[in-house]
Amino acid sequence: MERILIIGGGGTGGALAHDLTLRGFQVTLVEKGSLLSGTSGRHHGLLHSGARYALHDMDTARECYRENQILRRLAPQAIEANDGLFVAITAADMALQQAFIDRCTAAGIPTRRLEREAALALEPALDPGILGAVQVPDATMDAWRLPLHFFATAHFNGACILPFHRVDTLDLSNHQVIGAMVYNLQTGKTERVAADLVVNAAGPWTGKIAAMAGIETSVKPGPGVMVSVEGRLTNMVINRLHPAGEGDICLPQRNLTILGTTAWIAEDPDTVQLPAGHVERLQALCARLLPGVADTPAHAVWWASRPLLDDAGEEDPMRMSRGFACIDHRLNDNLEGFISLVGGKATTLRAMAKEAADLVCAKTGRNIQCGTATSPLRPYRQLLQTLRLGS
Amino acid sequence: MARKTVLFRILRYKPGHIDPPVYQDFKVHLTPAMSVLDALESIRLTQDAGLMYRHCCHHASCGTCACIIDGVPALACTTRIEAPAGGIITLEPLAQHRCVGDLAVDTNDFFEDFDPRWTSLRKGEQGPASRRPEGVNQLTRLENCIECGCCVSACPVIPEKDPFLGPAVLAAVNNERRNRPRDAATLLALAARSDGTRRCKRHIACSRVCPSKVYPARQIADLQRAIEDPSAKQ
Repeated sequence: MERILIIGGGGTGGALAHDLTLRGFQVTLVEKGSLLSGTSGRHHGLLHSGARYALHDMDTARECYRENQILRRLAPQAIEANDGLFVAITAADMALQQAFIDRCTAAGIPTRRLEREAALALEPALDPGILGAVQVPDATMDAWRLPLHFFATAHFNGACILPFHRVDTLDLSNHQVIGAMVYNLQTGKTERVAADLVVNAAGPWTGKIAAMAGIETSVKPGPGVMVSVEGRLTNMVINRLHPAGEGDICLPQRNLTILGTTAWIAEDPDTVQLPAGHVERLQALCARLLPGVADTPAHAVWWASRPLLDDAGEEDPMRMSRGFACIDHRLNDNLEGFISLVGGKATTLRAMAKEAADLVCAKTGRNIQCGTATSPLRPYRQLLQTLRLGS
Repeated sequence: MARKTVLFRILRYKPGHIDPPVYQDFKVHLTPAMSVLDALESIRLTQDAGLMYRHCCHHASCGTCACIIDGVPALACTTRIEAPAGGIITLEPLAQHRCVGDLAVDTNDFFEDFDPRWTSLRKGEQGPASRRPEGVNQLTRLENCIECGCCVSACPVIPEKDPFLGPAVLAAVNNERRNRPRDAATLLALAARSDGTRRCKRHIACSRVCPSKVYPARQIADLQRAIEDPSAKQ
């Protein structure tokens, strides 16, 4: 079977390694750092029900719900499946409630309208001044352990997983990518990895990899800041019911409450710094939902760059599509043997991988069905027991 | 005004490449609320792209960034830099772990005695029944232990000649006993092995360094009590 080189050890790369290995391809995955160290692992951990997108991005909403249900079955040990609330705190929020419920229903996302008192009984840490809430099947995922299930299964099935291997150049021959020169951070040596197809799954770094082939991709790094505070204030994920905005989500996870997020557009994911004022803004905005987060000192502050799909001229990073695209560079750039995955989000990692693997099949003339929606995943600890770095 | 800088003294080692290990100093300009992990990111992105360390979540949930910070095992992500201007912070890889490059360690040995299928979820601490949302059968939450290896690195017994399962595995065994009471006897038998709880010498170093409130020493003591009197109510 064809040799496929995946560039990028994030959630999408891991899910793709699993999907392609299951279909019989020979897979090598290279990641310049440790696995999931770029964007995937720094995710706040929301397993989307899709409700967040129901008001403005119906396709993503529908897809999130489908994947939410699949991931709950495939990796239940990595998910706090306690549902979520969309809480109205202003009259304008309340005015949106019916439209929100209708749009969720249209996207296939189950909802339950809760009066203020019922919501406060479920989550007494909510601000007593809330006006109402809607229950949706959101959940918290472990952003390290959930995607690691995919790596564990890919590795078990024979994929070669290489963290600390950085792609320095792509090998090109006659308008075709035929592999990459890969620098091994441990040995200091550069090795040639030959491939029949190369998949660029580098998230916000996708543009940098594509530039090695002299082409551009439509990805915009969209960083966002997150804050964790000590104390588990709720069981459920708490969202603000409003059009997507900053500081509108609080997630329980272990002993922590995680506050998200802000958003802006960066040119280079490697030069992003924590902007002044973001932590304070997040805490102030999230305190309108959960007053307890206002005065709790930050336990950790971090940021990650989303790989935003820049295709519709939308300038607001909160409203830019969370959809994804599989780009066959033969069609766009007259370059054979090279696919880029752009956009997407943690919840839809499996779906992105399926679409990319379908494209790999189409390009290699193979008709093999995707098995990842039902094929069981190996426990994540199995990877940590068996993946050896170096000799 | 000159920005405050701190010197990071990092033990560099890459088998066959930077070998034997050598300390290397990096000057880092501090930013507000900077963590040790933020400083490592800054060194990698602006000074030495070859610096190896593991990291993922940046908020003490994954457990991958543990290393020895000024002599004490800790998570780089939640360790704020408190050194005075011009101060030195020393970073070394976790002890009792095979170093694969600089601060990055292999996880194989740490997980060797774990059953990969041990649970990582437990029942939520919800209080009254009214806290359970309709349609959710059981509130759950992820386990406290993030498998970072700090406790294993700190344990003074593990380097001794006789083998010891160590605080992380034993804490997980006790946890599993709580989550799966049906398998309690098998799990207790594991803890009662010659390399089990009896090897613990109550240094409590594990509980002191645990960044995640697991208190492994307490879990080991729980197990020991249950081994001595299996009929006792836990």
